[in-house]
Amino acid sequence: MKLLVVEDEALLRHHLYTRLGEQGHVVDAVGDAEEALYRVEQYHHDLAIVDLGLPDISGLDLIRQLRSRGKTFPILILTARGNWQDKVEGLASGADDYVVKPFQFEELEARLNALLRRSAGFIQSTIEAGPLLLDMNRKQALLQGASMGLTAFEYRILEYLMRHHQQVVPKERLIEQLYPDDDERDPNVIEVLVGRLRRKLDGAAGFKPIETVRGQGYLFTERCR
Amino acid sequence: MSGGWRWLTRRGAFSLRLRLMFGSAVLAVIFMLALLPVLRSAFLIALEQSVEKRLAADAGALIAAARTENGRLSMPSKLPDEEFNIPDAQLLGFIYDRDGKLVWQSRTAKGISVGYLPRYDGSGNRLLRVYDREGNAFYLYDVEVDLLRGESAAFSIVTLQPDSDTRALYNGFMKQLYLWLALALLLLLGLLWFGLTWGFRSLRGLRRELDEVESGSRERLSDQHPSELLRLTGSLNRLLDSERQQRERYRHSLDDLAHSLKTPLSVLQGTSEVIAARPENREQTRVLQAQIERMSQQIGYQLQRASLRKSGLIRHRVLLAHVVDNLCEALDKVYGDKQVRVQRDFDLWLEIPMERVALLELLGNLLENAYRLCLGQISIGARIAQGVCEISVEDDGPGVPEDQRERILRRGERLDAQHPGQGIGTAVVNDILESYGGELQVGESSLGGAAFRIRF
Repeated sequence: MKLLVVEDEALLRHHLYTRLGEQGHVVDAVGDAEEALYRVEQYHHDLAIVDLGLPDISGLDLIRQLRSRGKTFPILILTARGNWQDKVEGLASGADDYVVKPFQFEELEARLNALLRRSAGFIQSTIEAGPLLLDMNRKQALLQGASMGLTAFEYRILEYLMRHHQQVVPKERLIEQLYPDDDERDPNVIEVLVGRLRRKLDGAAGFKPIETVRGQGYLFTERCR
Repeated sequence: MSGGWRWLTRRGAFSLRLRLMFGSAVLAVIFMLALLPVLRSAFLIALEQSVEKRLAADAGALIAAARTENGRLSMPSKLPDEEFNIPDAQLLGFIYDRDGKLVWQSRTAKGISVGYLPRYDGSGNRLLRVYDREGNAFYLYDVEVDLLRGESAAFSIVTLQPDSDTRALYNGFMKQLYLWLALALLLLLGLLWFGLTWGFRSLRGLRRELDEVESGSRERLSDQHPSELLRLTGSLNRLLDSERQQRERYRHSLDDLAHSLKTPLSVLQGTSEVIAARPENREQTRVLQAQIERMSQQIGYQLQRASLRKSGLIRHRVLLAHVVDNLCEALDKVYGDKQVRVQRDFDLWLEIPMERVALLELLGNLLENAYRLCLGQISIGARIAQGVCEISVEDDGPGVPEDQRERILRRGERLDAQHPGQGIGTAVVNDILESYGGELQVGESSLGGAAFRIRF
C-alpha cells in the first residue's frame, strides 16, 4: 500500500519510513503539511499518518484541507498530548483513528491495517476470491489451500488488485505501490510482474481473474469477500 | 438592642440601595421634626397678630362710641358693633377709669370677671392672655386712651375674646400640618426609592453582564456603563483578557512540551524495538521499554493534570448531550467495526457545571473503556438533584471483578493489557473529580458489564 507519513521529527519520520517499508508498504515520508499537500496531488495514497503537532500548518488544518480537496483515504493521527479535546477535534475534522505517542510499532500497524481493511470494505484480515485466499496479516496468498510462493512485489500487486476488485487499476497506480520515486518508474516492470502472477494463478486451477483493459490498466474480475 | 444594632451594622446585611434608603429616611424624619416647632411658632405669631388686630378694631369701635361729659364717660345703650350686644357673643368689652375702677362693661361681659387691672404705664396698648375664675383662657387687648384732651390717659379700653376659637384654629392647623408632613415624607421616600432604583440600574446591568461572563455566554464586559464604572469595567476586562491569553499560552506551552517530550520518546521506543530484534539484547530492551512506558505515562498524566486547571472567574456549564455526541461520533469512527449502540438516559438540555475540557476528558476516558470492552451496548445516564451531579457509564462487557475494582482506580493501572490505551484513564478521571470534590465508583451494570458512576 502507498502510505503518506507527515511527521516533523526527522528521526521518527525515518523510523516510520523504514518500519512501514519493511512491512511491504511504499512510504511517502514528509516533514510538513505543505509538502504533504503537494505529494497528495502527485500520487495516489491509500492512507495517511499525520502528526498533530506540525510546524506552520497544524496537523488538524492539514486534515481539513485534505478532506476539502476530496481525498477520501483513511487518516491516522499521531498525537503527543493524547487528551480528548485533541482526539475529538482530530476525528471531527476528518481523521479516522488516533495513536498516542510514544507508541509501539505493533499498535500502529494494527490500527493501520484495520483502517486499510475497513476502507476497502473488508471486515476480516483475509480476502477470498474463488479458490484464492489472501491473508493480509501474513502477507501470503493461498490457492486451493497451498501457498503460491509470491515475491514481495507480486504480493503487493495482487493485494492492490484484490482490494480494488472489479475496478480498472491504471499501471501508474500499481507502480506507485512498488516504488516511492518517479525516477524508478518503468511500466514494463508491471507487465512482467502481472505476467508472472497470471502464470502462478493459472498454473494450478485454470483461474484467470486478472484482465488487461487496453490503454487503461488491469481489472480483477472476480468478486472478493 | 445591641444585637439589633450589630445586625444593622453588619457588613453585607443590606444592599447598597437599602442602606441609602434607610439613611435618607432617617435624615428626612430628623429634618421634619426640626421643622415642626418653627412652623408651629410662626403660625402662633401670625394667629396672635390677627387676634390683636381684631381686638384693636373692636376697641376702636368702643372708643368711637364713647362720649365724655365733665370727666364722666357715657356709652350708648346700643353699640354699633353687634358682637357686644348679643348676650352669648364671643366679644367682651370693659372700660376702666384712671383709678382702675370698672366704669362700663358690654352686655356680653355680664357675669364674667377676669380680675384684670390696667396699669397705665404709658405703653399705649398690649395683648395678654388671662383666665377667668373657671379657668377659661381669654385674649385680652388693653388700649389706654386719652379722652380728656391733653391729660394723661384717663380710660383703659379692654376688649377680650375667648381663646377657644383660636385654639380650634390652632388644632386644625396642627392636624393639617402633621398630615402634610406625613404625605411629604411618603412622597419623598417614594421619589428617593425611584431615584435610587434608577441610579443603581447601571450597577444591576453590570451584575447581569458579570453573570453572563461567568456563565460563559459573554467574553468581556461592554462599555455601556456610567463613567464612574468605566474604570472598574476596564480593569475587569483587562483581567479577563489577560486570563484568557494566559490560559491560551499555557495550553500552547503544554502542547509544545508534550510534543517535544513525547516525540523523542517515540523515537526511543522505535529504536528499542529495532535493537530488540537481536535475541542477545532482548533483556536490556525490555528494561528500556518499561522505562520509556513509565516516562510516557508520567508525562501524559502530569500534562493532563496541568491542563485541567480551573478558571477562577468563569463558572462553566456544558450541555451534556453535546459532549456525549462529540465523543460518540469520534469513538464510533475508531470502533467502527463494532457497531456500538449507545443509549442516552438523560435530559437533552441537562447542563453539567464543569469545564468543557474536563468533562470531555472525564467522559472520554470512561466511554473509551466502555467502547473497548463492550459487546455492543452502552448506556449513559445523568441527573442533577439537590446540587449533586450523577453521571453513569455502563456497558455489556465482561465487567470488573470485585477484587480488582479498587486497583483500577489507581494511577496507571490497566486490567486489559492486551488492549491499547494509556492506562491513566481512570486515574485522570479520579483527579478531575477530586478537583470538583467528587468521587468515582465501580459497580455492576444491569446490562451485564461494568458500571462507572461519577458523583460530584
